[in-house]
Amino acid sequence: MFAALGRYTLAREMAFRGNFLVKVSVELLWLGILVAFYRTVFASTSNIANWSEPEYFFFVGCYFALNGLIEMLFLDNCNEFAELVRTGDLDFLLLKPIDEQFLVSCRRIDWGTAPNLAMGAIVMVLALVQSEWVFDPLRVAAFFITFGCGVSIAYSCMFLLTSISIWMVRNQSLMEMWWLFTSLARYPREIFSGRWAEPIGGFFTYCIPILLVSNVPANVMVRVLDPWMIAWTVVASASLLWISRRFFHFALKSYRSASS
Amino acid sequence: MSIIEVADLSKTYRVFQKKDGFVGALRGLYHREYKEVRAVERISFQIEEGEMVAFLGPNGAGKTTTLKMLSGLVYPTSGEARVLGYVPSERADPFRRQFALVMGQKNQLWWDLPAGDSFQLLREIYSIPRARFDKTLNELIDLLGVERLTRQAVRELSLGERMKMELIAALLHGPRLLLLDEPTIGLDVVAQAAIQKCLRDYHERRGVTMLLTSHYMRDVEALCRRVIVITQGTLVYDGPLKGIVERFGETKLLRLQFEDDAPEDLARFGEVVRREGRAADIRIDRGRVSEVLGALLNHYALADVSVVDPPLEEVIAKIFEEARLAHDAA
Amino acid sequence: MTPLDAIATRPVPQLLEEGGAGDQPPKPSTRGGGPLASAAKYARIFRIALIERMTYRGDFLFGTVLRFLPIVTTILLWRAIYEGSGQSELGGFQYREMVAYLLLTNISRMFSSMPGLAAGIAREVREGTLKRYLVQPLDLVGYLLASRIAHKVAYISMAFLPYAGLFYICRGYFDGFPDAPTLAAYALSLVLAFLVGFFFEATVGMVGFWFLEVTSILYIVMTLNYFISGHMLPIDLLPQPWAGILKVLPFQYMAYFPAVVFLGKVRGWDLVLHLALELFWVIAFMVLARTLYRTGLKRYSAFGG
Repeated sequence: MFAALGRYTLAREMAFRGNFLVKVSVELLWLGILVAFYRTVFASTSNIANWSEPEYFFFVGCYFALNGLIEMLFLDNCNEFAELVRTGDLDFLLLKPIDEQFLVSCRRIDWGTAPNLAMGAIVMVLALVQSEWVFDPLRVAAFFITFGCGVSIAYSCMFLLTSISIWMVRNQSLMEMWWLFTSLARYPREIFSGRWAEPIGGFFTYCIPILLVSNVPANVMVRVLDPWMIAWTVVASASLLWISRRFFHFALKSYRSASS
Repeated sequence: MSIIEVADLSKTYRVFQKKDGFVGALRGLYHREYKEVRAVERISFQIEEGEMVAFLGPNGAGKTTTLKMLSGLVYPTSGEARVLGYVPSERADPFRRQFALVMGQKNQLWWDLPAGDSFQLLREIYSIPRARFDKTLNELIDLLGVERLTRQAVRELSLGERMKMELIAALLHGPRLLLLDEPTIGLDVVAQAAIQKCLRDYHERRGVTMLLTSHYMRDVEALCRRVIVITQGTLVYDGPLKGIVERFGETKLLRLQFEDDAPEDLARFGEVVRREGRAADIRIDRGRVSEVLGALLNHYALADVSVVDPPLEEVIAKIFEEARLAHDAA
Repeated sequence: MTPLDAIATRPVPQLLEEGGAGDQPPKPSTRGGGPLASAAKYARIFRIALIERMTYRGDFLFGTVLRFLPIVTTILLWRAIYEGSGQSELGGFQYREMVAYLLLTNISRMFSSMPGLAAGIAREVREGTLKRYLVQPLDLVGYLLASRIAHKVAYISMAFLPYAGLFYICRGYFDGFPDAPTLAAYALSLVLAFLVGFFFEATVGMVGFWFLEVTSILYIVMTLNYFISGHMLPIDLLPQPWAGILKVLPFQYMAYFPAVVFLGKVRGWDLVLHLALELFWVIAFMVLARTLYRTGLKRYSAFGG
């Protein structure tokens, strides 16, 4: 059925071809700007928080691809959730004999952001080539595992925010909050050093583990292969998935089902 | 085992009291006042398989909330409910396959597509085998007379036609229990009659249990033998339709036919509703029937007398009105 | 969806700016009351928006707290950049100046951003409500300008407190206020930044007469603008052919220029020249917008609206 949904949304997206092209161009432009920004910065410095230029670019590509994946699969759907609660149309999803979480998070696929995955992948590959990276199957495997975990951690955080819409019905700021949230995932964890920054970094690594999302996969591939970090990432992603699901069901108990 | 068992079911909402103006909003940041709204209070009833039951009550009585608790949409504050053997709020998949909820004011069909497409999607969602699906669909289309309309976009259909499509959508997966929330609201008399007929026929053919909420007497009279009256969140009556008059009717109407012209001083017996030529109608308290009749027979020469119950609509309207006044006073 | 503020900061008040009250001209009879009445109207609208926000206090609190995160990460990022470089000055900016710069660009953007302006014009063209301009002696550009001024006045007064708070917290990155002439130049550059932003977006909006999907163009332009206006990093950091080019283009006035004026990086004749250039761009876009408007209106009426 997921396949059917995918096909349907692709058909609709293609119907609005112009829109699709604009979206893709803007994403491409945005990647271009990020690259330009970091190229400029690296012209003046040799490393940022001990990440060398090619390593950092791998990180950027990883973040871009991961973000693209989340946007493509989940962002629009979660965004719409507040509207469903407000109009009471959530009822129809709750009546169907299909898991509610799946219906809420996976209704549509935003194909406009799908190319981001490819774009991010290209940047990552280029960065690997530039750093003369040696192929290591262990690293690659660990990368894919932690990338998947990163996606699931990001998804769980997004889903937690979404569930809150049941109480704060006028939640148009979900998107805003999401972007602010991801402003953490955009940079290497290592910038959180120093007296007042380290506790913040620690908080966002072990309590609300957003800093694991793009950091660990990138680290694993091009820098430090730290088995403890990988283990923690896997544990965190599994627990966060479980927590966000439980929280969602808890939130549904407060659902008031607006009538027309 | 009954198909629906409800015991002391309650739902209370906490509603935040919003204060006007900027200062009020500012104050609302650190101190909130809440009001408790008791939407449903300790309702209990049982429904057997194959019954057709109506929930009758004024707006805001709690009928829809009760229905939503039975569908698992709203989580009860206290009490128990068992529907088809399941606890509704757990929303088990097998549970959701066996019932359908139709809401008169909401559309589940996709707006821009023909109803036929939505039906196909539902077939996939409920995993209905093709043969059975086609048979059911054709049967329903026949029953409601909508062959030409399944190819049209839902938004182009009239309200009545849309409602028929909603009904079909609900019945496609062959539910054992059908819950309807104000299914004929906003429809014209013809469309209402069509829906009622469809429900009756379907009930006869399939023995589906039906529970519908309405504030239209016509729906209730056409379809249901048993009525549950809910006002202000509480169940005030559960039984056959006619019983309502006996239970709630406080007055009786005396239809009098005098030998001569009707006298003018009948007002001392009760409320004179009509006085024309030899006929007069007086409304009196139910308990005083024999007393008043006796007095009348003593004083006047009567050719014909009949004691009539007030019409059902009037009784129900009175119940609703009293509930509204009590609610406003609260 | 493009994150419009990946690197730089965007504190609370910007949220109120979004979906700013539409620029729909009223019927001529109510046009009286002037700019003060308009500003009062917008003040009321923002007040109601703020009230609404406070009603959902969880939302409000959560949003307020989260607003500070990008500022924190920006500060940390640049500290890491400076440490990695081993230099105390990059592109003529010391670390503290860099942070001050990035905070100041937000003020510039507060003046120069025009949410909904071009889209509003394009919508009027599309929906045909422009008919009234053919018949009545109303000047669309003039009206929109007056409306935006009122809107900005109201917005800035509402945003003043939170921003003041933010700058107070970050005062360590600043060396106090600059001297009076610099402040005057700064104020002037901000006013001109508003005008540049306005006429630029108005011009883009006027393209809506020929090309209905102008909002897509706008989206692309605004994304590019994010970088070339200096909102992400000072233009001085860019390598030579680019830095020079960008310093004569109008986009720098929307973020970069006022910030560097405040920081005292542009002085004397340089300052005067750049202000003159800024004025030039204001006039250039004003003329362009008006011309496009007139020709567009003619074309529009030729098609019977």
